[in-house]
Amino acid sequence: MAVFLQSMLSGILIGGVYALIGIGLTIIFGVMRVINFAHGDVLMIGMYMTYFLFTLLHIDPFVSIVVTIPLMFLFGAFLQKVFINRVLGALPQNQILLTIGMGLVMSNAVMLAFTSDYKILSTKYSSSSFNILGISISSPLLISFAITIIITVALYWFLYRTDTGQAIRATAQDRGAAQLMGINVKRMSIIAFGLGAALAGTAGALISPTYYIFPQVGSVFTLKAFVITVLGGMGSIVGATLGGVLIGIAESVGGVYFGSGWKDVIVFMVFLLVLLFKPSGLLGTSKD
Amino acid sequence: MRPFMHNMRGTSTLPVLLAVVAVAALFLLPNFVESTYALHIMILIFISIIMGSGWNILGGYTGQYSVGHAAYFGVGGYTTIILMQYRHIAPWYGVWAGILVAVAIALIIGTICFRLRGPYFVLASIAVAEIFRVTALNLKKLTNGAEGILITDIPPFKIGDVVITDFMSKVPFYYIGLVTLIIAIFATWMLQNSKLGYYFQAIREDQDAAHSLGINLTIYKNVALACSVVFTSLAGSLYGLYVGFIDPSTVLALDLSVQIVMTCIIGGIGTIFGPVIGAVVLVPFSEALRSNMIAQAIIDSGLVSENSGFGFFLKEQLSHAHVLIYGILLVVVILYMPDGILGFVRKLTSKRRKEAI
Repeated sequence: MAVFLQSMLSGILIGGVYALIGIGLTIIFGVMRVINFAHGDVLMIGMYMTYFLFTLLHIDPFVSIVVTIPLMFLFGAFLQKVFINRVLGALPQNQILLTIGMGLVMSNAVMLAFTSDYKILSTKYSSSSFNILGISISSPLLISFAITIIITVALYWFLYRTDTGQAIRATAQDRGAAQLMGINVKRMSIIAFGLGAALAGTAGALISPTYYIFPQVGSVFTLKAFVITVLGGMGSIVGATLGGVLIGIAESVGGVYFGSGWKDVIVFMVFLLVLLFKPSGLLGTSKD
Repeated sequence: MRPFMHNMRGTSTLPVLLAVVAVAALFLLPNFVESTYALHIMILIFISIIMGSGWNILGGYTGQYSVGHAAYFGVGGYTTIILMQYRHIAPWYGVWAGILVAVAIALIIGTICFRLRGPYFVLASIAVAEIFRVTALNLKKLTNGAEGILITDIPPFKIGDVVITDFMSKVPFYYIGLVTLIIAIFATWMLQNSKLGYYFQAIREDQDAAHSLGINLTIYKNVALACSVVFTSLAGSLYGLYVGFIDPSTVLALDLSVQIVMTCIIGGIGTIFGPVIGAVVLVPFSEALRSNMIAQAIIDSGLVSENSGFGFFLKEQLSHAHVLIYGILLVVVILYMPDGILGFVRKLTSKRRKEAI
């Protein structure tokens, strides 16, 4: 039982970060109907940014998100304006291939610049943990979970309470109608991609103290992000939040009972099952 | 609707003649070329064309964008090599076993996944390939896990007591690749002008319209997948045997799936010679990068000194960058020539023709 609780808890903690990744992908999909296959690579860039802020300027990874968020937002806005914007009307497969290509460029450019060596960002608290009721909790995971909650709450406030946020959601609901209502959908798309990139970058920053940093790390997270968003329902923000936590738990508990080698198989099986039996996701309503 | 190429009867004699000359030249090539490196590049191009042509049947003609074809490439390769290495079944039988296993698996997966459309199908195909990769990593008894299987030796191919080849040089692989690729291209050509091919293209253009005209979507998508997998699996077996080594991170990786798709996209999707052009452009380019020829050429040209920091950086790193070039090519092709090189050239020539009129 203790093992089960332990794995549940670490699943929830890591699930918070997964939720951020998923929300980023789902916002982009919602507003533009583009599946961003470079999402994990954007996260990887966030990881490297955090790593260099830490090693060169000695900024704590959890503090550095103050710098990472705006930078990644600008990066995402740039990607949207220069690349994604040109294929919004194209075939979905071409959009997918474009983002795959962008992802390859990012991961390999980073590899070219910083080699493919694994980098480890070790802070004083990287491996520290404490015990509550016989369950050990890793400190960096707990801190990152707390930050995740703050960011998620802020994001919900932004999307549901501010004009810009509502305009983004309106664009996601019906691009044409939103445009007729005088919403600048192009601008909303740029903001949405910026937000998505910022969230992925933040997730990267938050896991960097507990994860290996290497150029190809992105593909793992891209796949996870898909699973999360499909699970929650493509375009649903609440769904992605829930999906992230669920996948975190599934991975962690599955890893304990089936061996860590098989945990990805479990995740993908869940993914296929959801795709087949409820392609609109757990909370999604089918729009197309 | 995309123009459906030329009719069989409309084919003039000149292209046929050119094709015959090209094939004859390729058959004679190993007699004149001594360099094993040149043969190596040719074999890689052949394998790339075979897998591209295979994908093209499903992705190009039927419009089902699988980004998980590495699964079938890997299954074919692993089946052939496991049978040879652990069961001592000669590869010329094992290849067929590989095809059988790959097609059987493909049909199961197809029946499940073809209910999905558009981006959901793409995601499902990726997930399937990832399941195969992780499974191959974990089934250590069968696949030797991440270490992969090293082929110790391929038995010599004999007819009666006459040894046809002992597979010691690259030449037998060259001919096997060449013959298979000709079969693949011929099959695509036959398919394109057949009733089955029209069904496939109808599904690509509009699934629902095709369905309403009485084309059973699940059956014909599965048929397209099976045809496609035959060549993908063959390419996988050939690759494994040629390289002499097989492991999950090369034959079952997402990178390989992307590479298969790219060969077609860059050449021109849904055209007979698209995969050929894609492979001829991509393979030598990435090999030149991988083997540091381009870095050396930049240094030799005197643009960058070998001893300068940048020159050193180029020599050290550019060989790792072949995937970067893949990525850049992919982005450029999608943005500026979404119909691939063939489509781009065709558009240029048709524009010129219009201007002439």
